[in-house]
Amino acid sequence: MNGARSQRLKTIDRTLMPPCQEACPLNQDIREYVDLIAQGRIMEALKVIRDKNPFPSICAYVCPHKCEEKCRRGKVDMPVAIRALKRFAVEFGGDQMVRTETENVYEERVAIIGSGPAGLSCAYYLRVLGYPVTIFEAHREPGGMLRVGIPEFRLPKRMLDMEIERLTLMGIEIRTNTPITSLDLLFEKGYKAIFVTVGAQEGRKLGIEGEDTPYVMDGISFLREINLGMKVRIGDRVVVVGGGGVAMDCALSSLRLGAKHVEIVCLEKEEEMPAGKDEVQICKDEGINIRNGFGVKKVLREGNKVKGLELIKCLSVFDENRRFNPKFDESALSYVDADMVIFAVGQMPRIPEDFHLEVGRGGTIKVDPVTLTTNRKGVFAGGDAVTGPASVVEALSTGKKAAKRIDDYLRHRYPFEERSEKEPLSSEMSQKTIEMIRKISRHEPPLKPRDERVKRFEAFELVYNWETAIDEAKRCLRCGMGAEIFERDKCASCLTCLRVCPYHVPYLNEKGDVEIPPSDCVACGICVSECPARAIFLRKPSDRRQIETELYELKNSIPQKGWPLIVGFCCQYGLFGTGSLSSFYRHPKTGIHIIPVLCIGKIEVEHMIRPFELNAQGVFIAGCGEKQCARDNTEIFARRKAEKAKEIISYLGFEKERIEVFSSTEKDMEKRLDQFIEKISEMMLSRMLKEGR
Amino acid sequence: MIVAERKPLDEIIGMVRPFKNILILGCGTCVTVCNVGGEREVSLLDAALRVAITKGMLEEKVISQYTVKRQCDKEFLTSLLGKAEEIDAILSLACGVGVQVLADTFSDIPCIPGVNTIFMGAQPEMGVWDERCIGCGDCRLFETLGICPLSRCAKGILNGPCGGSKNGKCEANKDVDCAWLLIYDRLERHGQLEKMRQYYPPRDYGRLRRPKRVTIL
Amino acid sequence: MAVSLLEEKLNSKEFVVTAEIGPPKGPDVSEMKKNIELLKGRVDAMNVTDHQSSVMRYPSIGGCLLIKEMGGEPVLQMTTRDRNRIALQAELLFAYSRGIRNVLCLTGDAVEIGDHKEAKPVFDVDSVQLIRMIKTMESGKDFAGNNLNGKVEFFIGASCSPEAHSIKPQLIKFEKKVASGAKFFQTQGIYDVSSLRRFMQFARQFDVKVLAGIIVLFSYRMALYMNENVPGVSVPDEILEELRNTDKTQALKKGVEIAARTIRAIKDENLCDGVHIMAIGREHIIPEVLEASGIQK
Repeated sequence: MNGARSQRLKTIDRTLMPPCQEACPLNQDIREYVDLIAQGRIMEALKVIRDKNPFPSICAYVCPHKCEEKCRRGKVDMPVAIRALKRFAVEFGGDQMVRTETENVYEERVAIIGSGPAGLSCAYYLRVLGYPVTIFEAHREPGGMLRVGIPEFRLPKRMLDMEIERLTLMGIEIRTNTPITSLDLLFEKGYKAIFVTVGAQEGRKLGIEGEDTPYVMDGISFLREINLGMKVRIGDRVVVVGGGGVAMDCALSSLRLGAKHVEIVCLEKEEEMPAGKDEVQICKDEGINIRNGFGVKKVLREGNKVKGLELIKCLSVFDENRRFNPKFDESALSYVDADMVIFAVGQMPRIPEDFHLEVGRGGTIKVDPVTLTTNRKGVFAGGDAVTGPASVVEALSTGKKAAKRIDDYLRHRYPFEERSEKEPLSSEMSQKTIEMIRKISRHEPPLKPRDERVKRFEAFELVYNWETAIDEAKRCLRCGMGAEIFERDKCASCLTCLRVCPYHVPYLNEKGDVEIPPSDCVACGICVSECPARAIFLRKPSDRRQIETELYELKNSIPQKGWPLIVGFCCQYGLFGTGSLSSFYRHPKTGIHIIPVLCIGKIEVEHMIRPFELNAQGVFIAGCGEKQCARDNTEIFARRKAEKAKEIISYLGFEKERIEVFSSTEKDMEKRLDQFIEKISEMMLSRMLKEGR
Repeated sequence: MIVAERKPLDEIIGMVRPFKNILILGCGTCVTVCNVGGEREVSLLDAALRVAITKGMLEEKVISQYTVKRQCDKEFLTSLLGKAEEIDAILSLACGVGVQVLADTFSDIPCIPGVNTIFMGAQPEMGVWDERCIGCGDCRLFETLGICPLSRCAKGILNGPCGGSKNGKCEANKDVDCAWLLIYDRLERHGQLEKMRQYYPPRDYGRLRRPKRVTIL
Repeated sequence: MAVSLLEEKLNSKEFVVTAEIGPPKGPDVSEMKKNIELLKGRVDAMNVTDHQSSVMRYPSIGGCLLIKEMGGEPVLQMTTRDRNRIALQAELLFAYSRGIRNVLCLTGDAVEIGDHKEAKPVFDVDSVQLIRMIKTMESGKDFAGNNLNGKVEFFIGASCSPEAHSIKPQLIKFEKKVASGAKFFQTQGIYDVSSLRRFMQFARQFDVKVLAGIIVLFSYRMALYMNENVPGVSVPDEILEELRNTDKTQALKKGVEIAARTIRAIKDENLCDGVHIMAIGREHIIPEVLEASGIQK
């Protein structure tokens, strides 16, 4: 009775939502896919990513990775390089081969105006639901800002083309060169719902003197011209005004177009800049000077030529209410020389009047935040057109949400607000635990050398290689899936979990009960296998198959004639899962049955003995090795348990040498394994001879 | 269960006499179960001592009470460290194990035992405790099918019975059944009298010498 | 080849009589010497008790040496209550070296009934293990397997209780003692010959000698006390009646009469190999008992 309940409990998912997932607009299962990468299961990782993200290949390049800002590993040393890992998964997981099957379920046709990320995402999800979808794109090529706003070196256009082709193969109709001027016409044409996602592609003007001089442009137009392959004018001394991602892109593009000297001027202090920290760093690396804390008073010209900018000191950007309200010190003037100025100070949408949509602050469309409906029935809106310029991933999220809402609308369903099933992790990791976690430095996504970078518009960020990706993925602390004392009534407060935890996480509360705070546990699994009452479980049963299931199946495996059956418990994070011996699992050596475990800390003494019941001749345990293991002390515990197992089998008539623990970083691992197999074979032979067979 | 009995109150009064600020510390495990050292007993002892003070048997003292889940693991006691600044003695109602761990943890404060730890035993009926195990380290309950000759026979002999049983009772204590007669009945019921006919050699006292230690991983 | 005089006599099929000598509580052995002198010619062997009823007394080995010096045949009584295996083996070596050959192996009364109630009971070995211990020493090794510089030889005896309330476990114990090497037995006091008769039916299958214990009663009160408190002793109602109806001054005489009667019955029926007479504190009465039973030595 006890056993069956324990078995069932072991399969329930009681994980808490980690801060990375909470921060992601698409609510991606980041912890899950990072863990799969750490095990070398890249294709499965990609599947998890694709489960919530329609265009992982795009996000892999351009996502502003808010998840990394919240990553708790950042408190220990540096955040896990989640975006770079996603890119690794996309490139190594065979993303190109993924095809989504769809069928026509419904008749109601939906029109999507704008083929930016919001529109594409909405189309994808509506199509998956079974709706006929048509995207109307005013420009010659689809993609919205993905096409025209993001430079090639940040997002290779072939990725975008691939994604769009996938959508076409799904049955989504994309009509380019088709600007829409009237929504009524669409309704007349028979569309039952419309999603307006025209983006915010109008560069904002400051309205200062000299803004209309030649060689003064707005950033969006600048980038668009480059992206559409037009010949773009460039000066020698380019100054980009603005502190956001567009400004950074303009500056980097300018360098690649041949500008000799590029500077950026922005109101914000460096920490306040809206651009991502890595984008700012890249600019600095390429020699772009950033002048923080200045506003532009006027453009200085000489005749029809730009001479420079007059700058005023910016005292503050945001007021007490955190609203954009810059204050200047008009008396503090300075100057910067330039022969070209690019203003990247914001964008606005341009909503055609004939849409008859209610428009609010900054020219954005007003929508109900839950249903995404506008003032017109059947008309939904989302993306930059509603929020003002935002990130690609937020647009993807809006598109997904819009698809659901449109479906609700067309099916006459009550639009319930989505509630997450999982509770988020409520508290911060304690300082004490942070200090105990072994520091492992982050593998920064590799970049092309600086000199090579600036020559071309090619993507300069390279992808991880296999080893680096797995090493980086192992740094993940697996927040929220740690141990919990699940069967409270079994707990005898024996204090074993308190004493074996290498990070001193479990503690005694005032009542004398043991508590394992989920915000501190890093899921190594040692307490789970050491608890004498079997009261502790990991919140997520993350072994690919429960060890017990594998052992059960061992019954059916018939040992090859003449070869001893040897069972090996091998850590999936180590050589056997991701390293040189991973082929072992797929093509095991004769007679060896590998049972994959996620960290050998989880193996129990009982597991080491059961194979002998099933006629195994030898058992080995292969962990990652002390330095490689992302957790601490796991090998110590595995060895201790092996000693106990050896003692027990010695009473049962088996030699103690039949069980062995290997540290799988040993250089001659394969040789050691061979030696082990030989030894077991010898023992088997001598026993057979003794028995006179 | 570790079973203890309350120390006579006059003995406790004699021991606490020299101290001014006393913490009565109970233990929430074994001594609670046998009703001599849990929260209730702590409170009772507190009340008794206060009466003693009122009657002039003791000088005025500050008495406080607390009960921890167990005293035999120091992790349960560390929450008291730091709160015990003014205490100059702890009257512990834990078993002998607990008092010693307590004394090790609070090495500057005298720890007074408030109970006499007597044996490991079971409760045949409420309030009655019988010794059942002496911790010999060589359990032979299979030889007697579940009746321990070491804890239940006054002489602890292994080839029983001796000639001392009268009307089924032990010569040492007429209220107690002769364990070997019980063993005989048990073995007979199971048809296993052969076990009693077997010769059992003397105990190996060398296997576990005091002070005993065992390492269990 | 008999190890001792007692063994010889028991082998000879004559009706053997042994008696119990109680040592003094103190260093003054004059009373004990008188008793030894009185009995040494009249009985075949004399036992000296070993802190009988857990009352601390002059040791059995001391009494046995005195008997030996005075020309009698001693039986060393050895209980396991007070000494561990080391001390017991040592005393056996000493006893052997002084010519003592008969040993009665007993577990010993519980400490609780004696006069040193606060003493620690030892019971490192029990009677059965003690018998085996002696057998081990007879093979030239001590109980831990070390070689001795010579062999010892003893005539090993043990006790049994034919009138025990729960007789079945006692029978098993008897068998164990026999299997371990006991050669003669001195029983607890017999008052009902039929229970002895039944016991001997069982015991006869073994190649051992049995001496029936005869405890002389001195008073009605003593009989009652024995009945209530002494294990293995059960005074029948008829005897209790007899004593009750006897005048106090004549009680001892009555006791002797009862004892003699019992001895005669045993001897006439040839129930066992002899008797072991116990007259605790009144050893001087034993010759009368012998005379009344018609036994002359």
